Amino acid sequence: MKEQFQHQLTTAFSMWFDNFLLTKGEAYTNTTGDFFHYTDNRLDSRYQAYGSSYKQWVTDSSVAGATIASGVCIGGDFSGRDDGVVLDFDNGRALISGSNTDLDVTGEFAVKDFNVYLTNDTEDDLIIENKYIVNSRLPSGPWNYIEPYDDVVPAIFLSTDVSENKPFAFGGMEDTVVHAKAVVLADDTYQLDGVLSIFMDSVNESIPRIPMSGYPITELGDLKGGSYYYTGVENAYSEGTEFFVDKVRTSKLSDRTRNVLANELYVGFIDFDIQLFRYRFQ
Amino acid sequence: MTFLPPDVKNALKRQAPKAMRRQMEKEAQDKFKKIKKEMIEEFLSNPITQEIMAGPSAPNISGTLSEKTNLFAFIGFDQGTEPIAPILNLLNGLTLQYDKEIKNKGLGISFRVDLPTPEDIFSVTPLPWATGRSWAEGIERGLSGLGYLLRKDGGRSGAAIQTRVKVRAGKFHNQPYISAFLRRYRKRFEDLT
Repeated sequence: MKEQFQHQLTTAFSMWFDNFLLTKGEAYTNTTGDFFHYTDNRLDSRYQAYGSSYKQWVTDSSVAGATIASGVCIGGDFSGRDDGVVLDFDNGRALISGSNTDLDVTGEFAVKDFNVYLTNDTEDDLIIENKYIVNSRLPSGPWNYIEPYDDVVPAIFLSTDVSENKPFAFGGMEDTVVHAKAVVLADDTYQLDGVLSIFMDSVNESIPRIPMSGYPITELGDLKGGSYYYTGVENAYSEGTEFFVDKVRTSKLSDRTRNVLANELYVGFIDFDIQLFRYRFQ
Repeated sequence: MTFLPPDVKNALKRQAPKAMRRQMEKEAQDKFKKIKKEMIEEFLSNPITQEIMAGPSAPNISGTLSEKTNLFAFIGFDQGTEPIAPILNLLNGLTLQYDKEIKNKGLGISFRVDLPTPEDIFSVTPLPWATGRSWAEGIERGLSGLGYLLRKDGGRSGAAIQTRVKVRAGKFHNQPYISAFLRRYRKRFEDLT
């Protein structure tokens, strides 16, 4: 199936959300640390996995001040992509060519304050059923790698919900409104209030229609072409009508109800109405 | 056809609205009261409204939950609360007020009805577990089973998770509620002549 409107919206919305949080909230921490070897059966046998203690490093070079990883130090010497190192930003690790499993690997990178995931899970699945590994951004030992693939918190889960078309203009133009939402799972109220406040102010923002091909990450979690600037991608797709953030409502799970949750997480919700004037099938 | 002289026309335009105001206002008020009464009756007879008003042990007459639970429990209201009351207050508070004389398009006077918008209703219908969200809006757009699960005794101990199967089987089905209802009555009030 070729790319549809909904695919484009999901891609563009998630990329915009990530950039907005990182730039408006400076929601990242520059850090350095050791990487630890582990076996990953899903991984191509050409690589050995060396994991850092944090998942989801910042990929976006347009975030001022963030250290975007371009390689790791192996035995004190820098090794980059040209030396066979693949950086898996999502899983917070370096994939190093060869079979050596006892390398001394360190690295420097910016880690997001919140992992951002796209999901189809319902709110009750996300909040009540799922058991998350807490990957706190506050430094605390003992240091070890963080397991790949599983979702960790603090995190924000994005999903799109109801969509509807209303006739808007002669010639078949529709007023398309998509209800998107974000479920925020935070360690503490400071983080939660910060995220809700940032996105409360995102009303009237416009989001360029970035197609799936504009998504910056490869299947191994590294950057296509070695670098990614959201502002650059945004400019490349700024022609034509853009998605418009028409309405934003934020709310928090009340403390009384939060107390029955198994994990000590602070939960918030951001509900967006994203609008676009468009012709069907475009 | 008889044509009125311009000075007579102008005098009519000036004087008629004042002379007719009392009579027209009375007629408009009568029609307004009738529509308002129908509006409130329709709202109260809506299955969603009735189910919520009936409290935690009501059957799922709205069909929103495939009869697995009912809306009052699913949304997570506390027993004894009256979630419908704020909406009813807004509807009961509806008035017809004199607005202005019509001079340019014919003769007469116009009235104003401050019908609440869907947003007005949504702002007085908070979800009990996330007060920034509206349960009335949720009826139209979708509601998660979170309120139900959070309200279950011993949610921490897993009792809530045991009930998940039941809730999932009774997945919530969105239904038109406030927005469509207000749109219909906005049209009726606009057509009030």
